[in-house]
Amino acid sequence: MSTRVEQILNLLVDEIEERMQKRQRVAVPPPPAPVLQVPLPPRAEKHPLAPPEPEPEPPPMPPGPPHAARFIGRLTLGLLVAVIAINIPFNRHGTTLATAMPDTASLIIRNGLVVKEEDDPEIYVYQNGKFRWISSLDAFEHYGYTWGDVHIVKDGWLDDFEIGAPIHVLLKCPDSPHIYRLENDVKRWIVNIETFEAEGHVWEDVRFVSCEYLRSIPNGETIPPGSGPPPQP
Amino acid sequence: MNNLAIIETILRNRQRFFIEIRDGVELGRKIRAMLISSIAFFALYGAVMGSTHSLFQALSSAAKLPLLFLATLVVCSPTLYFFNLVFGSNQSLTQNFTLILTAITVTAVLLLSFSPVVLFFLLTTSQYQFFKLLNVGVFTIAGFVGVRFLSQGMRVVSDAGKEGAGGRRNVVRLWILLYAFVGSQMAWTLRPFIGAPGMQFELFRQLGGNFYANVFASIGELLGFFTVR
Repeated sequence: MSTRVEQILNLLVDEIEERMQKRQRVAVPPPPAPVLQVPLPPRAEKHPLAPPEPEPEPPPMPPGPPHAARFIGRLTLGLLVAVIAINIPFNRHGTTLATAMPDTASLIIRNGLVVKEEDDPEIYVYQNGKFRWISSLDAFEHYGYTWGDVHIVKDGWLDDFEIGAPIHVLLKCPDSPHIYRLENDVKRWIVNIETFEAEGHVWEDVRFVSCEYLRSIPNGETIPPGSGPPPQP
Repeated sequence: MNNLAIIETILRNRQRFFIEIRDGVELGRKIRAMLISSIAFFALYGAVMGSTHSLFQALSSAAKLPLLFLATLVVCSPTLYFFNLVFGSNQSLTQNFTLILTAITVTAVLLLSFSPVVLFFLLTTSQYQFFKLLNVGVFTIAGFVGVRFLSQGMRVVSDAGKEGAGGRRNVVRLWILLYAFVGSQMAWTLRPFIGAPGMQFELFRQLGGNFYANVFASIGELLGFFTVR
């Protein structure tokens, strides 16, 4: 049995060797025929009216397979796969390999940057050269921020920056003329329009909520303080 | 002609390639093959750059990077053509266009070859300014080699009319400067390509500042002199 296998293997080896020899014969070009070296005559001065000499033929393409083109094709394909792979989210927060590196070292301080220090619950947004505290979750949502916008920074990171006026949201319900400012989870009644304007508020700051929700928020000190008990919405 | 085989020809046998451009051999097919290859390579490099921010930024940069180079080509090629004519060239606009496209294709191939390096740094560093300067460096090298190809090609192609050859060489040198200025301003206009961390995705950023001031500011921040705001 084993001799039979050996015979087959020997035949196979012989065939491979023969084919390889054939291939080498094809690949190696025959040596060039000997050329008789004739000394060239001295180069004559070109006559001004003589026809232009024919230009030398451009060098031919070096022999061999087009390995660069093949490699470029494979590299392109490989990079395409890599780019897709690093952009696939691998957790429910949408983190991808490409964005997985912590970015506090590379934060660009621009308007709209939202940050929170590690051990501090307060969230700040950068506006016109200052970080401003967003005073409530309602304000955070009212201004269109999401948790994905919040960048966690080291404790004390904000100490290097100027802190501006806090950002509040004003709440109003459709059935009541009164406007309240939400601050530290209590609502503060703004007594009149003059105070509203003096506090620097604009109508765009006002968020409409249901009266039921507004009533459920505990009352705080009025704006300005000492203006009596606030009316219920 | 295979779209990738043309890259092989440009890189390994550029002399022949330039002579074919001079003789007007299959210019249309060459242009098509180079356009397809360079758009694909630029798009891929753009996607790698933009991936550092978000998927949208990757897609946006993949579209904007080819646009940047092709728009610069369209803006700058008439200048080269007409100045060459003034200095006695007999090249057609198509020949000029093909030559510049050759330079752009070489730049695209080199950018593609740098892509794995950029991808590596994308995955291993979080320094935005470093990443930005790395890309500026990569573009500078690739662009420099690209315009060297243009310079060589222009010498071969303008050989046919020897009169005013010196003037044409100077035209090419000055045109390369113009190309660099237009290209950098175009890049500034079409930014962001990387996307600043901490900022939401934006297709185009508001105008203001300039490319060179931003590069110096990035170097300053990287060396710890100040913070870019």
